[in-house]
Order: sequence, then C-alpha cells, then structure tokens
Amino acid sequence: MIRDRENERKAGERNEDLFISALKTTIPVLLGYIPLGMAFGFLLVGAGYHWIYAFLMSLFVYAGSGQFLAVAFLAAGAGLTEFVIATLLLNLRHAFYGLSLLEKFSGVGRVKPYLIFALTDETYALLTTTDVPQASSKSRFYFYIAALDHFYWISGSVLGAVLGSMLKINLEGMSFVLTALFVVLTIEQYFSSEARFPFIAALGAGAFSLIIFSPDNMLLASIILGTLILMAREKSMQKAQRTQIVLGARENSQTRKENRLINSAVQPLEDKRKEKS
Amino acid sequence: MIDPLQMLVTITVIALATFATRALPFICFGSREPPAILSVIEKNLPPMILLLLVIYCLKDVQWLTAPYGVPELFTICIVAGLHLWKRNAMLSIFTGTALYMVLVQFNIFSFL
Repeated sequence: MIRDRENERKAGERNEDLFISALKTTIPVLLGYIPLGMAFGFLLVGAGYHWIYAFLMSLFVYAGSGQFLAVAFLAAGAGLTEFVIATLLLNLRHAFYGLSLLEKFSGVGRVKPYLIFALTDETYALLTTTDVPQASSKSRFYFYIAALDHFYWISGSVLGAVLGSMLKINLEGMSFVLTALFVVLTIEQYFSSEARFPFIAALGAGAFSLIIFSPDNMLLASIILGTLILMAREKSMQKAQRTQIVLGARENSQTRKENRLINSAVQPLEDKRKEKS
Repeated sequence: MIDPLQMLVTITVIALATFATRALPFICFGSREPPAILSVIEKNLPPMILLLLVIYCLKDVQWLTAPYGVPELFTICIVAGLHLWKRNAMLSIFTGTALYMVLVQFNIFSFL
C-alpha cells in the first residue's frame, strides 16, 4: 500500500518533469503562436465576426494558414465547395508529414487520433526533432507537446479577438520566431541525420517553387517537387545497386565455370585468386 | 456576413477537411505496410521539409524592392551562425527574433 503510493508519487513527479521539459521545448512555438493567433483573432473580429468563432476555429480546425485563408474566404463570401477545395489543397502537405510519422506514431495508444489532429507545421517540426527524455513515456511527451502548442494557438487567437484593436503593442517582426525555430531545427537535423541529399533537394525545390509558384501554393508545390526528387534519386540508386549485383552474379558464375575446368589441376592458383576477391 | 448556423457549418467543414489531410497517410497505411520506396523516403522527408519550411517563411519577401530581403537573410545567417557556434536553441531563436524585430521596427536597412 505504502509502496504503491510511493510509486504513484514518483510517477507523478516524472510526469511533472516530462511536462516541464515539453514546456521548455515548446517555448519558441508559444512565442510564435501567440502573435500569429492574435493576428488571426484581429482579422476575424475585423471581418465582423464574434470572438467565439475565433475560439471555435482554433479549437476545432487548428491550422494556421488554413484559418487565415478561411477569413479571406469569409470576407469574399465564398461557397462551401470553395472552402473545402482550398482547405484540402492548402493542407495537403500535412499528408506528407504523417507519412514520415507512421513509425513514430505506432504504439502511442489512445492519444494517436489527437496527435494526428494536432499535426501543424510547428508540432511536426518539434516531434521529428526532439528526443523523448530517457525512461519516460513517448505518448505522454508527444501529447504534452501537441496539446501545449494547441493551447498557445487557442489562447493567442482568443486574446487577439477579444482585445481587438484595443491593444497597441508593436508585434511587428515577432513571427520571425517561427523562421528562427525552423532554421535551428534544420541545423539540428543536419547534425542528427547522415543524409545530405534531402537538403540539396530542398534548396532546389524551394528556390524553384519560390520563383514559379504564388506564395500560397509554394509550400505544397515544393514538398511535392522535393519528394519526387527524393524518389527519383532513390530509384536511380536502387538501379545502380541492382546493376552491380547482376554484374557480381555474372562474375561469380564465370568463376564457377573456370573453377570446374581447372579444378584439380591448378589448385594453388585458385586459392590465390580467392584471396584477391 | 453569414448567419451563425452557416458559420458553424463552415467551421465544421473546414475542420473535417483539415483533419482529413492529416489522417490520410494513417488511414492508407494503418494496416498494411507502405510501399518500400515510401519507407526510404520517410527517413529523408523531415530534413527536407524543415529546410522547405525555412524557405517558405521567406515567401512574402519582396526581393526586387528595398530592402531586398536583407533583414531576413541577415537574421537567418546570425541565427545559423549563433546556433552552429553555441548549439543553444533558445539563445539562437530569441537573439534572432529580437534582432529581427529591431531591424524591421526601426527600419535599420532603410539606406538600401
């Protein structure tokens, strides 16, 4: 009984530590989501809607660029079909995020649906880069990160919507915190992964899409383009490998034939060749 | 302006569409193995996407008019340099953000 309580207390402490470390991990997102969420809140209220809609959207939609797009569409009086198509296209990049999280998310248990729901750019970036603290639960840590980010976003948008234009803080440039976060995480990826080609692919696809596509489309376009480049390279490398294997096999069979011919006659010579190969 | 009911329907629809895009890969490959090519790709996706997100953050920069994206590129170099040097994420991010806010709010690069 006493030991049970002791264990419980220990587990509670561990969870608290885990929560604090998730809190630390998400601070940059906090500083990015508050001003960004506020901007969204300002916009929605500015378009003539009650602040409760900012809350509902941030709670249930939870997609930065998707919500900004929605405000623009609301202001333009778009129809439902347009909302659906634009949202699908804009957020299709999230499908690629999930693709690289299939393994990570297997075995996280009942929080999985929420983790999938809350998979924003920033949460994705944190989940793929941050290591789970030792001896602690992966699902709990991921859940804390996702839920904290979600909470920041909701708080920001409600704050912005409620305060409206009453506030006169100059937040210009503060959203750069997200750019800085991505720069830092890219560098961390550079150190933690041995692959170099993805960075080259990203530079090529990114620069190309920046020039060719409109700002709204460039992210999805560049991700598709980059993925195609990665796949093409993978295919060509596999092909090269196969060719090598085929060549190797041919060599082997030739060797075997020769062996049969010279089998007993020149044994020492054969041994030497084996050594060489 | 649309009425509250329409607004709620719209929010529901956007929420479902967004969730659908996020759940798609998990629905497709929840019970069966993804094709081999995808499992190779999935290891290389995070580094690529992160760098693409950096580039994406520059999507609204006006490269052809003053200050020609100099504040953004300058700050990114500082953040990267600082991070390569100290490997302290908080330090790199906050120094960079504070620097950028000063640069744009006081229009430091207005001489360009």
